[in-house]
Amino acid sequence: MLFSRTIIISCAGMGNRLGLGTTKALVEVEGKPLIVRQLELLDKEKDIRIVVGYQAEQVVEVVRKYRQDILFVFNHNYRKTGTGASVALASKYANPYILALDGDILIHPEDIEKVLTCRTEFVSGDMIKSEEPWMIQTYQDLSGEYVSAFSKEKGNYEWNGIAQMESYKMQKGTGHVFQQIEPYLPIPFLKVRTQEIDTIFDYEHAVQWVRNGFDKEKK
Amino acid sequence: MSNFIFLFDLDSTITKQEILPTVAGKVGMYQSMYTLTENAMSGKVPFQQSFLQRVELLKYMPVSQIRSMVAEIELNQKIIQFIRNNKERCYIVTGNLDIWIEELIENLGMEKNTYSSKALVKNDYIQEVVSVIDKNAVISQIVMPFVAIGDGNNDAEMIDAAEIGIGYGGVREISPSVLACASHIVYREETLVEFLKKLV
Repeated sequence: MLFSRTIIISCAGMGNRLGLGTTKALVEVEGKPLIVRQLELLDKEKDIRIVVGYQAEQVVEVVRKYRQDILFVFNHNYRKTGTGASVALASKYANPYILALDGDILIHPEDIEKVLTCRTEFVSGDMIKSEEPWMIQTYQDLSGEYVSAFSKEKGNYEWNGIAQMESYKMQKGTGHVFQQIEPYLPIPFLKVRTQEIDTIFDYEHAVQWVRNGFDKEKK
Repeated sequence: MSNFIFLFDLDSTITKQEILPTVAGKVGMYQSMYTLTENAMSGKVPFQQSFLQRVELLKYMPVSQIRSMVAEIELNQKIIQFIRNNKERCYIVTGNLDIWIEELIENLGMEKNTYSSKALVKNDYIQEVVSVIDKNAVISQIVMPFVAIGDGNNDAEMIDAAEIGIGYGGVREISPSVLACASHIVYREETLVEFLKKLV
């Protein structure tokens, strides 16, 4: 069967913890906004939805300079809802699968290929490096590694906001994206190297990461 | 399959050019018409007042001449194709005058599915404007869930009331009032039509 997927990038939030007063998708890393860095990795993808809320017009303007064929979805209630609400809005009337990406992450360019060629559901994580991460617990069996739980207390990876799911499963929710995924666990795990930009500390890390060519030694 | 019906604005949504400024341009009145249209679409002047002023500019031209010019306006072909393929579920909701858009609407085969402003004609000239459409009044009659697609300030209420309210910015910039209430916005015709197909 033909695999058909809609990519959803959530860029509605205010990014308060970063303290720049700018929605995180617009934050520039080495002179280029995060959203443009994500779109560059998705050049071959045809069905992309970007969820906008805070500073929607600026996000739209920046995106339109890069490409025109985006469907923008509004989360007008961005102040009171989380990324889960944005993904839920954009999952409606989408293709059978959605690939959800947070607008505030840098993805290692070498890892995007395995994300885009994956034809099943998956939940993604990276090494634990944030101060207060949501963690992923996994188990291994003969067919591979599976996510069994999300937790604040313990886990072997940090949840990085990337997941591919059947779209009908994601159409309700107002909190975290992983809360929409939880009822369907276990789900195959995919390790993807990312840098989330939540705080100024993260931001400085992200800049360093880009400057040194995405830590080529740490594959 | 959904049970949505689809309400399309005409000017700059179905058409690739703005109708009245294009017509006015052919008779040397582009600038006055453009200013009046801009003021209405951006919400600086109430639609009804601005529309009557625009009619005033063109009422000295034979209706048949304007009707032919309107029929030649370039259209967004992929949107037209969607409308043709889903004719029974699509409606055009336009502020423009029935007597000016008649031929265009006939060409689209949408005579039965168009809500517009209306005027009386005598000897090929406008005698009176009978009614200026209030899109809000149109949608208040509609009992089925609907998708609305438009760009201008006078589309904002139907876009706000729609289950799916789409701002289309492929021809002109989407007005701020539409940006404030749309559930989706899109700038390319192909992307719009791909999404509409998912809503059928």
